[in-house]
Amino acid sequence: MKRLLLFFSIICAVTAFAAFFQPDVRPGYGVTDIGWLSDYFPPLRGTNLDTPVFYMDSGVEGPTFLLMGGTHPREIASMVAATIFVENVVVKKGRVIVIPYANKSAASIPDTFGKVPHFIPVKSRSGPRFLVYGDRRTDPKDQGMPDPEKFVHPSGFELEDGAEARNLNRQYPGVPEGNPTQQLAYAIIQLIKAEKVNFNLDMHESGTPEEYVDESGNIKKGGRLAFTLVCNPAALEIGAMALLMLEDQGITFNLEESNPEFRGLSHLEIYNATGCLSFLSETPNPGQDPWRKHVDVINDPKYPLKLRVGMQLELIRCLIEAYNMYTGEAIQIEGLPSFQDLMEKDVGSFLN
Amino acid sequence: MVLVFLTFNILAFGATTSTQVPMLEAPVMVVSAGQSPGALQFSVVAKMAKLPHTFEKLLRAEDFDPTKYKTLVLVVGASSKGLGAAGIDFEAEVKRVVALAEKAKAHKIPIVICHLEGATRRGPMSDRILDALAAYASIFMVKTSSDEDGKFKSLSEEFKVPLLYFQKTSDLKNIIQEHFVY
Repeated sequence: MKRLLLFFSIICAVTAFAAFFQPDVRPGYGVTDIGWLSDYFPPLRGTNLDTPVFYMDSGVEGPTFLLMGGTHPREIASMVAATIFVENVVVKKGRVIVIPYANKSAASIPDTFGKVPHFIPVKSRSGPRFLVYGDRRTDPKDQGMPDPEKFVHPSGFELEDGAEARNLNRQYPGVPEGNPTQQLAYAIIQLIKAEKVNFNLDMHESGTPEEYVDESGNIKKGGRLAFTLVCNPAALEIGAMALLMLEDQGITFNLEESNPEFRGLSHLEIYNATGCLSFLSETPNPGQDPWRKHVDVINDPKYPLKLRVGMQLELIRCLIEAYNMYTGEAIQIEGLPSFQDLMEKDVGSFLN
Repeated sequence: MVLVFLTFNILAFGATTSTQVPMLEAPVMVVSAGQSPGALQFSVVAKMAKLPHTFEKLLRAEDFDPTKYKTLVLVVGASSKGLGAAGIDFEAEVKRVVALAEKAKAHKIPIVICHLEGATRRGPMSDRILDALAAYASIFMVKTSSDEDGKFKSLSEEFKVPLLYFQKTSDLKNIIQEHFVY
């Protein structure tokens, strides 16, 4: 009986740990306040979908930029880039708000592909530290209901895979009385409205463009999404300018425009709901290639994490510069590591 | 000295075919051929180069006033998303740009065919537009990574039209400043 009780205690402890996953973000001097997403939508409070929000306010009037990582927590470069931003950057003019783990529930469970460990050790400035490699979608336990047969966005737009009901980046602009993932999207929209965010970047990763041979021996093309900046139509010119600047740093990204028929995505819906100019970036993650049998998402020889995080950070810099140039307003930041910094010193050198 | 000069030109402005490169005049009309964001990118670079131009991504032949423009730039790049957003189907898009090119040619307005989105924006749809427009080209301006298969080079030789390459999108600014009079 005692052994049985001990067993249940351990199970309960593990379950409790999973339900109260907290991201490891160690703020630098640029962080002026820390809040919670539930500050903008109280029903999220106490749930595993509530997530920390970091404010980096220069105190000097200027635009507000929202940076989001971890919409899909298997897209690890997005969370690492956002964390490095919080731990290194000081904003000198305007304001930056960072949500490093937009879907914290999805970060609290391992990737359902099952090829990458949930926690990956790295050496940081202050010693050993773990990076999180989560899943794409909200933990079913946090969603609290079975997936529907088909996913239907409130606009009527449908997807065959019902599990997309747990994909944050299909839910915008969210539903206040909806399921937890719809509420999460709604809370982000409320933050953007309340904080009068001028522009935002939702960082993502996708499969690499590498060709591969399928099980029948056919040569297949890799993913087309990587190395892309997707822009709301209203933000396309700023996106084009940012990519010109990025190319001058030796990094070539493709420019894409939101598809108005594919509903629920951040780059389309955030602008439409709030007027905030919205962008989405994609870097190539070998962990998302379904054909790979063995994956090293940190030290892959062609697509190492330092390369992908370096590209995301350089894109942030270019986007801010392009926004400043286009609007005549200015956000000024200091301390953002460059692409070269990342390639030379690696990710851990910029983590506290 | 000559060798140094030629090397500099190739690095800065891209290699060209031996066909004589015409001087182009402003004002310029920039139009998308396929509704990808490439035409907008051309317009952004043209702004940086201070080239007097108008950007109309969906301009139709009947709305093109040939008395107002001295060059037509057609930026090729097919995008299903862009076509969907513009509410135009692919076949109608091909007809639209060919009619535009016909009108420009009839009024002796030089036509620049540009491709600046690299290999990822080359595919059956983009190539179909390109094949339909190639015969109207006065000059090709092409990003090096857009011509990995040599298609533009072949078209340039077939139609005896000069081809200017550029490495980076921002290098297009140098080409504009070098080859447009304004």
